[in-house]
Amino acid sequence: MAYQLYRNTTLGNSLQESLDELIQSQQITPQLALQVLLQFDKAINSALAQRVRNRVNFRGSLNTYRFCDNVWTFVLNDVEFREVTELIKVDKVKIVACDGKTCDAVG
Amino acid sequence: MACVNPVPKLYRSVIEDVIEGVRDLFAEEGIEEQVLKVLKQLWETKVLQSKATEDFFRNSTHSPVFTLQLPNSLHQTLQSSTASLVIPAGRPLASFTTAELGASNSSAGFTLPGYPIHVPAGVTLQTASGHLYKVSVPIMVTQTSGRASILHPVQQVFQQLGQPSMIQTCVPRLNPCSLQATTEKSQRLETVPQQPPILHSGVVHRKHFENATSDILVPSGNEREIMSEALLSQLESSQYISVPGVMFPPQVSQTGSPVEPVLRVSASVTQNLNGGPLSTGRPGAQHQHMTDTQLHVLKNRMFGCDSLKQPRNTEEPSSLPVSEKESNSQMDLSNQVTDDDINEIIQIDGTGDTSSNDEIGSTRDVDENEFLGIVEARDLKVLEEEADSISNEDSTANSSDNEDPQIDVVEEDPLNSGDDVSEQDVPDLFDTDNVIVCQYDKIHRSKNKWKFYLKDGVMCFGGRDYVFAKAIGDAEW
Repeated sequence: MAYQLYRNTTLGNSLQESLDELIQSQQITPQLALQVLLQFDKAINSALAQRVRNRVNFRGSLNTYRFCDNVWTFVLNDVEFREVTELIKVDKVKIVACDGKTCDAVG
Repeated sequence: MACVNPVPKLYRSVIEDVIEGVRDLFAEEGIEEQVLKVLKQLWETKVLQSKATEDFFRNSTHSPVFTLQLPNSLHQTLQSSTASLVIPAGRPLASFTTAELGASNSSAGFTLPGYPIHVPAGVTLQTASGHLYKVSVPIMVTQTSGRASILHPVQQVFQQLGQPSMIQTCVPRLNPCSLQATTEKSQRLETVPQQPPILHSGVVHRKHFENATSDILVPSGNEREIMSEALLSQLESSQYISVPGVMFPPQVSQTGSPVEPVLRVSASVTQNLNGGPLSTGRPGAQHQHMTDTQLHVLKNRMFGCDSLKQPRNTEEPSSLPVSEKESNSQMDLSNQVTDDDINEIIQIDGTGDTSSNDEIGSTRDVDENEFLGIVEARDLKVLEEEADSISNEDSTANSSDNEDPQIDVVEEDPLNSGDDVSEQDVPDLFDTDNVIVCQYDKIHRSKNKWKFYLKDGVMCFGGRDYVFAKAIGDAEW
């Protein structure tokens, strides 16, 4: 079981929307859609773990922090993200982080 | 050195993996392969449409390619030659100079890589449906995304050149466009045929709204009426139609239809007029002279009406009051329409109405003074009551508010202003466009210095996506 964390990404949300459309048109069942999402969770987790190799550094000021159910949620302000190739600045960013040591499904 | 962004490839591979992974599931459920294909297409389309990977997946042009042809023979008064422009609707910016357009004196075709397209003055554009537009003011055509293709009711200087039949055909198509006559009649001057793929306003909106309005407004009110009526009549009579002035006054919202592809053309009226009335009072030279200032005028208009007065004063002082009024109304309309895709448009009505602010402010000051003594005692009482019902934290805030009750009364809700500061921030605080979803290896804190060791993350900044295998960060709380 992989984290369902990545469902709230562009990729995950677009998949969910597409599945919703198919459910609405009754081409698939909600149960099947759930299975698809579980498959997505596995695929994205493994893709990130294996196919992505880059590193990012960032610095900013911490506005809030929250740790609940082993999930950290931060809100940072005036953050600079540095990659080898580029620099990205944002005024506000929210970070949601699950425990990287265990691999429990978070519903 | 990572020159290529890994995101699009990664996304594609994930999509492929998932589709393959569920293929068996679909088969078990007895669902057709077609449904799986539909799912994949939907998914890919949504991902492509999002800003996350737009720069990567898209290969510039696709879809609507429209041809702007400028029949050379019909333009004898144009300074620059006619050219036919094939403008594909693509994302990359494209601009071409006057030289490119005006170089040839015969019909020429230009393929533009995409929006925005800068159309210099003097070019006559013919839309794919055959409608001709003559550009007397440099215009910029941009493409906004995802809007209904309805032309703004920009008042269009619409010049038909040598093709009366087109005018007639144009007329019915113009209806949605709702060209707004410069007069304040409800009558709409709809001379702009809808040409969805053709042009429309990103940046152009503001500028050319102004152009349109300024040009149109410059003539006196009678002239405008004449123009609109003449235009309509000419449309029906399939004569040449030229409307002095420009483009499209931002009166679209009256039609209630956002206009995406807007062809903004300002035609030089006088010279090619067949009908007399339209060109009254508009010598060509004046029109030409106006074009440069029009842009400034329009800009000024967009960002405040007051500044508009000055440049306009130099041109047509007599028409200022009426024009300004119309421009204001037009501005409101345009703002309503274009707000969605241009966040920079400044709203001049409502709370943003500069002219009324002073009045309100002065009035409120007077009222404030009058009520100071009365309110103060009452406020204290009210605040105390509120404090009881709210948490202690709030009551503390209330006590501080008690010191300045009159200010609270005047400016905001006196009972709750200043309260709940932190509570209000929290929901907004966690609602942001920039999100990172990841896993943490280690989170460390020392006093107020935090260190983050994150991994396997997907970042979304303003819609654009990034990924990382590891991220290390520092922050001070």
